[in-house]
Amino acid sequence: MSPGLSRIVRTDWFGPFVIALAAIAIVAAFNPSFLSPLNIQVLLLAISINALIAFSQMSIIAIGQMNLSVGAIGGLVAISFAGMMEVWGFPAPVAATLALALGLVCGLLNGLVIAWTGISAFIITLASLSLYKGINLGITQAQPFYGVLDAVKAFGQTNVLGPIPWLAVPTAIVALLLWYMFNRLPVGRFILAVGGNQHAAELSGISVGFTVTVAHAISGLLAGLAGILLVARLQIGQPTIGDDWLILSFAAPVIGGAVLAGGHVSIPATLLGVVIVAIITQALVLFNIDPYLVQVVLGFLILGAVGLNRFREARLERPAGRI
Amino acid sequence: MALPDSPASPATRQAKRPMARYFLTNEFGLAALIVLFAVLFGVTAQGFLSPFNLFALGRTASINIMIGLAMMVVIVTGGLNLALGAIGVCAAIFCGFLIQDAGLAWPLAIVLALALGAALGSINGWITVRSGLHSFIITLATMSIFFGAMIFLTRAQSYRGLPPELTSFGRIKIVEIVSPLLVVTVVVALLLAYLYRLTALGREMLAAGAKAEAAELSGVRVGRVFIICHMLSGAIAAVAALMLTARNGAAIPSMAGQLGQDWLLPAFLAPVLGGTLLTGGRVSVLGTCLGAFLVTMLTSGLLLMQIGEFWIQSFLGLLLLAAVLIDKSRRMLLDRSKLS
Repeated sequence: MSPGLSRIVRTDWFGPFVIALAAIAIVAAFNPSFLSPLNIQVLLLAISINALIAFSQMSIIAIGQMNLSVGAIGGLVAISFAGMMEVWGFPAPVAATLALALGLVCGLLNGLVIAWTGISAFIITLASLSLYKGINLGITQAQPFYGVLDAVKAFGQTNVLGPIPWLAVPTAIVALLLWYMFNRLPVGRFILAVGGNQHAAELSGISVGFTVTVAHAISGLLAGLAGILLVARLQIGQPTIGDDWLILSFAAPVIGGAVLAGGHVSIPATLLGVVIVAIITQALVLFNIDPYLVQVVLGFLILGAVGLNRFREARLERPAGRI
Repeated sequence: MALPDSPASPATRQAKRPMARYFLTNEFGLAALIVLFAVLFGVTAQGFLSPFNLFALGRTASINIMIGLAMMVVIVTGGLNLALGAIGVCAAIFCGFLIQDAGLAWPLAIVLALALGAALGSINGWITVRSGLHSFIITLATMSIFFGAMIFLTRAQSYRGLPPELTSFGRIKIVEIVSPLLVVTVVVALLLAYLYRLTALGREMLAAGAKAEAAELSGVRVGRVFIICHMLSGAIAAVAALMLTARNGAAIPSMAGQLGQDWLLPAFLAPVLGGTLLTGGRVSVLGTCLGAFLVTMLTSGLLLMQIGEFWIQSFLGLLLLAAVLIDKSRRMLLDRSKLS
């Protein structure tokens, strides 16, 4: 094998990439309408939003923690966005900015409490999940906001170019920014260092509390952005937005090969994880298989992926032990 | 994915001031809070002390306690069981199916439903032990699988044709205010307390949860013990769901919310309030029961005071936050009093 090719084979996104290509080929062979422009557009819409949800969880997996409140933050931001437009009559950009700021603050609060108390992120985000969801229900009384502005509706429905929807644009920008952050910016490297070995990171002069807080703030911001895009796509501010994000947010990073212990994430692999989940979900619909089975398939995908990652880790460790 | 470790359990160490230690225990604090809020609600909330409200309170508390105990028996291992809502709903629906569609006698159906809960729980335990991964990700996946499979098989239908013996169990009153559901809960809690205090298996669970390697070296078969813990969790979750079915008079797939997620908060609130260590190795059955009772009482009282039903969830989140913060400062206080 040429050195260039073998380097590509060894990257962490190569496995998910091959699986995604194979899945596309198989589904398209059985059902040619899979590659129709309309279907690609539907796929891209799902991928755009689910990728943000996955990135939101991925930022926390990077520091070796978990964030159960991703869905609750997304839902709260979504109804605030729609509510500010309907009740206060704010223009869309102002409402979007304020709603995003709210997402940032929600994540920041998670991070501050975790960093300050040192209590496990699981418990803190379980508590904040309930807190944010309760505020959501308290504001909306479980009724949706219908007054979404036409500009926002248009943004959620129209395409930039061919089958590529406008909704894919923010996601693409976020993916590039995240890649830049994790690979080039000090704060991104700090996050990975803390995830890899918190004690070693602290001894090398990294402020663990600051890094944890930043990671949670980023997670909140991304969850909020996903909520806003979902309002644009659904055309209403549903209070139930975010209720089913928990499995989804873990599935894609895990399928993409993120190590749950932290310290290692890959943006392209996570994105491919989202693509694989979207293709399988779409295939179940195209082949008229019960949509209820999506949950079962997602569960098995997570189990299979963590099993595979474990196997890969064990194989990576073995040669090192011999030296 | 590791849950950060907290200081070792203070109860196992020699305390210099036994009285102070007694007043700083979780159980005492919870009991004091329960009395305080009972007086507060009794004075301010109309109808809080009415026989009907006390009956309803005991009935809801008995289910919440059971959910808390189902999580507690897994927290002992230092793990958790996100799938307990899904397992419970699966068992309840299975029971409804056996009675209504398969025509089985209801006692047999209940036994089989409990067996299903235990079986699903042991699947969780088996995968966790064999893969060596944290039970968080395993039970996250199985929660999706169990619930999805149940919805797929039943087409999301409810079973409402339950025999009157079963549905009246949730309605009758033993003495004015005591529901038979509360009796079931007390019996299960006593059995668990017996298990952890007086049986070899219970001590092995605690030892394996506190330090798996040390327990393994002392001859405890840690993997087997962990699987039994998960099995127990599945069975208790099934009991909780059957109790809820008896109360509702029907087995409904949505009774624990999407994927059974609605049970997660009560499941963690009760053991955490009750002083069960999340890292494993220490339980308090009494604390879990008191914790769940306090949460139920606060919810009921706030509903009666018409705070607004939708804000209750926010309030419970804040309560969990407050509980872990108080627990942390209590432990710091204990450590400091030991040093001085």
